Amino acid sequence: MSKEEVLLRIQAVLDQVLDAKGIPRVKLSEDVAVMDGTLPIDSLDLAQIVIELQSVTGRDPFRNGFVEFRTVGELARLFAA
Amino acid sequence: MKHVVITGGSRGIGAAAVRALLEEGYFVSTCSRAPTEHIRCFETDPALRERFYYQPFDLARIEEYERFLDACVARGGPLYGLVNNAGIAQAGVLATFPLVDCERIVRVNLIGPLALSRAAARHFLRHRRGGRIINISSIIGSRGYTGLSAYSASKAGLDGLTRSLARELGRIGVTVNSIAPGYVRTDMSAALSQEDLQQIVRRTPLGRLGEAADTVALLKFLLSEGAGFITGQVIFVDGGLSC
Repeated sequence: MSKEEVLLRIQAVLDQVLDAKGIPRVKLSEDVAVMDGTLPIDSLDLAQIVIELQSVTGRDPFRNGFVEFRTVGELARLFAA
Repeated sequence: MKHVVITGGSRGIGAAAVRALLEEGYFVSTCSRAPTEHIRCFETDPALRERFYYQPFDLARIEEYERFLDACVARGGPLYGLVNNAGIAQAGVLATFPLVDCERIVRVNLIGPLALSRAAARHFLRHRRGGRIINISSIIGSRGYTGLSAYSASKAGLDGLTRSLARELGRIGVTVNSIAPGYVRTDMSAALSQEDLQQIVRRTPLGRLGEAADTVALLKFLLSEGAGFITGQVIFVDGGLSC
């Protein structure tokens, strides 16, 4: 799965999460920080996004421990082929 | 139909729980190292077998837990409840207790439930339908008991898992609780001497050892809709021994 496809999947899961919370959707870009408060999500929401990415890509970049990422683009690159 | 996965359903409290939940109308999946007469009974009873799934495997093989849960979900549908029941006990003074046995006890009693709860949490996060996680702990995790240090440590750890995971998953409607039985008349209590068991009965306000049914009654309640506002608790079922 390309980085662009992973980004689309992140956007889709984020839309689901925000819809479920009744919060207006946010358009993602690669340089948006994931967890500094820019996005209205918490660690559990991020876990849902990561689980979805692991499921659709078959990749688990955290298998051997946590890997640092700050932005949506960095997260997408971890899962892109 | 609600689907509940119970580890260690081949004997003791686990087997009693499997039977009770099947009779309540749940789909029940379970596992153990090897099938017992209880398992063969569930698999052959025409009234139960359609709602029962069993897979044998060694519960010390943590890496297989996620596959086990996936197989259960494939057979029984989306997960509603997970009961971390499987456990092992072995008595011995810690100073001379083999480290390999300490590690085995902590692996089965604590790392296993952590791994399976992780797998269940991933399932609950994806489906967002709420759910239940119930850890079968022990009064010994809170009170301690001479000769059961490793077992006690593993059960105290399990109660820590209960409290933290309850906070973590509360927002998606998943409750997490521990049931801490006192001294129950099962194969597990065979680790205690007859003299120890008699002393326990003398000190228990309700004057007897626990039965598997005592624990199963609370388990059924915690799985019910009525228990939807109870989470993060360690509930003793011990005849008042700890009061």
